[in-house]
Amino acid sequence: MRRFYLFGFLLLMGFDTLSQISFKYAGTQALPVAASVAWLLRVFGQPWVYGAIVGYVGAFFTWMSLLKHAPIGPAFAASHLEVVSVMLLSVWLFDEHLTVPRVLGAIAIIAGIVCLGLAESREHPPEPAA
Amino acid sequence: MLPATGSISSLVAGLWLLNVLLDTGGQLAFKAAAGSPLAGDGLARWKHMAARPWLWLGIASYVIEFLVWIAFLSLIPLSEGVLLGSINIVAIMVAGRFLFGERLTRLRVIGILLVTLGVTIVGIAG
Repeated sequence: MRRFYLFGFLLLMGFDTLSQISFKYAGTQALPVAASVAWLLRVFGQPWVYGAIVGYVGAFFTWMSLLKHAPIGPAFAASHLEVVSVMLLSVWLFDEHLTVPRVLGAIAIIAGIVCLGLAESREHPPEPAA
Repeated sequence: MLPATGSISSLVAGLWLLNVLLDTGGQLAFKAAAGSPLAGDGLARWKHMAARPWLWLGIASYVIEFLVWIAFLSLIPLSEGVLLGSINIVAIMVAGRFLFGERLTRLRVIGILLVTLGVTIVGIAG
C-alpha cells in the first residue's frame, strides 16, 4: 500500500509539473494577452494547451483518488511540492534564472508546505488497517 | 496587499488575485463534493457527486482559472509564477477555517506565515 501511495504522489507531481510547463509554453505562444476571442483562438490553436489539459485532468483524478485513501499530510505536500520541479525545469527549458529572492522565497514556501503537511498528519492520524 | 511594485504590473496583479479567488472557490466546491457522507463507493460515488452542483461549480471555477493562469504565466517567468501561485494554499486554509471550521493549529499558522513570507519576498523582489 505504501508503494501505491508513493506512486500516486509521484504521479500527482508529474501531472502538475506537465501542466505548468505546458501552461507557460501555451501562454507564450498566445501573446499578447487580451480578453478576446482572438486570444482564445491563439491559446487553443497550438498543441501545448492540450498538454496542460492532460496534466490538469490527470492531476484531478489522481488527487480525488488519493484524497479518499492516502494520509492527508503527505498528499497535501505532494500536491504542492511541484514548485521545486517546475523551478528547476524552467531554468533548463526557459533559460530563467534562480535569483536570490526566488530561492529564498522558495525555501520559505517549501518550509511552510512541510509544516502544513505535518499539521495535517497530526490532525488526521492514520487509521488502523482494516 | 497588492503594491504596485517594480516588476509586477497591475494586469499581472489582477490575474494573480483572480487566480486565488477561482482556485479557492474551486477547491472548496470540490471539498463539498467529495466530503458528502452519503456518497458511497466507486461508480455510485461519482454518480452521487455528478447529480449535485458542487462538482460542477468546482469544474467551472477551474476552467476559468485555467485561462487566467495561462494569461498570468505568459506575462512573468514560470519560476516566479509558480512561487506567487503558492498563496493559493494560504487562501484555502483560511477559507477552510471560516467555512468548514477547520482549526488553525500553531503548526498550521507557522506554515501559513512561511508560505506568505515566501510569496511576499518573490512578489517584491522576485
